[in-house]
Amino acid sequence: MSAREETLRITASMTVVCALGAAVLGGVYVGTERYARAAQSRGERNAIVELLGLDSTARVTEVRQFLAEDRGEVVYEARPFGAEGAPARRLVFALDGRLVAQEGAGGAVLPAGAARPLGRLFLASRDGLPLGFVVEGTARGYKNRIRFLVGIGRDFSIAGVRVVEHEEDPGLGAEVATRVFGGQFIGRDAANIAALAVTRDPMPEDWRSALAQLTRVPAESWRARQAGLIARERARPIYAVTGATISSRALTEGLKSTVDHFRRRWALLEPWLGAGS
Amino acid sequence: MSAALQDPGPPPARQLILNGIFTENPVFRLALSLCPAVAVTTTVMNGIILGVAVLLVQVLSSATVAIARSFIHPRVRIPVYTIIIAVWVSAIDMSLAAFVPTLYAQVGLYVKLIVAFAIIISRLEVFASRYPLVPSLWDALGMGLGFLFALVVIGAMRELLGNGSLFGVALAPGKPLLFFALPAGGFFSIALLMALFNWMERRAAEAAGARARAAGGSHA
Repeated sequence: MSAREETLRITASMTVVCALGAAVLGGVYVGTERYARAAQSRGERNAIVELLGLDSTARVTEVRQFLAEDRGEVVYEARPFGAEGAPARRLVFALDGRLVAQEGAGGAVLPAGAARPLGRLFLASRDGLPLGFVVEGTARGYKNRIRFLVGIGRDFSIAGVRVVEHEEDPGLGAEVATRVFGGQFIGRDAANIAALAVTRDPMPEDWRSALAQLTRVPAESWRARQAGLIARERARPIYAVTGATISSRALTEGLKSTVDHFRRRWALLEPWLGAGS
Repeated sequence: MSAALQDPGPPPARQLILNGIFTENPVFRLALSLCPAVAVTTTVMNGIILGVAVLLVQVLSSATVAIARSFIHPRVRIPVYTIIIAVWVSAIDMSLAAFVPTLYAQVGLYVKLIVAFAIIISRLEVFASRYPLVPSLWDALGMGLGFLFALVVIGAMRELLGNGSLFGVALAPGKPLLFFALPAGGFFSIALLMALFNWMERRAAEAAGARARAAGGSHA
């Protein structure tokens, strides 16, 4: 067999293998994609319902934020949660906060690649009145990105925190994803969050056992039951997880900037989405 | 290797299975794929999920190679094996993400790493590329079960010592020896279990030797 013939055979065999592999992968993707998307959106819906203590009468609207850099515009797209591909209501703002354009459902689709996704927030409402918000945020963890959802009540106090994705060390940094750590933020208002610090002092035992109840009790009734302790701790900093000060600081700082950004975004959006959305 | 080529036939199924689980256990005897074995085994449940994923990838890849072995050009067999493994890993990764999202959230990162597991490609090269489909399936099943068994044992030891729990159920207050849940503790766990396996094997060999001597050394 000549070298030329062998090269051709090798090329042909590799091409066939790659084509077959691509066909198998394509088939599996087509078969599973619908379920994967449904599973992700189910997980998010559960987190939103739990964070805000919603019932089945509440409507959830998903708002996506995009930045169209070349045009100097920020675009918000609002659509009912889970209605992927449904026509969205679109608000376009200039960078100084001026409303440039407003399109009702059925407006032109944003051209792909024209805008960079900046983040998502979810608005829960009943009869057009906002009940609360869930904002997606990220923090730079010890190893990698920490992605979290933060529930924010109508009064802009924290309703709860859920870490949805992280790579912190098990037993150390990973503890920031627990209800005990996240529960420390519950009930703090925006001004309190903005000035929040992290301490390495040990967490008081009564506070720790109160926070541990969050794994069994819904946050709303927990807040009523532990009102005294929550009021006492509100004046104090966040207690870092022992041995994981960096992860604790990272999540706290990420939360601070997420809440701050949300407040400014909502001030912009409220006249348009706040009532009768 | 040349001995395997001259082999009149493949070993029987029972021997292939036992081989994978005990005599040639991928983790405790061949010391292959130790890195992932350390990374995921912080809990028993993680060990089970990754073990099952490896078992599936090993069986599917071995079957593919055993069927297609006469078509695979020997000069490019390693890249072809890698593509076959990568295809099955991606297929399993997508299926896990779609059908068991909560478990996938915990081990999804490691499932993608199965592509680089030495144990899988070494079984393709040593076994599946030389034998027909049926013995290759038994070999893959044995090796996969051996890996699963190792991950479960390591995971149980680390979850129990590091977290004081098993399957997430707390058995001891607090965290008895947190060290075992951390990566360094993973290597120590594997070393301790490997020593245990060596010791048990030596004991078994000594017992067998004593029995043979007691029988009068007729086979000597």
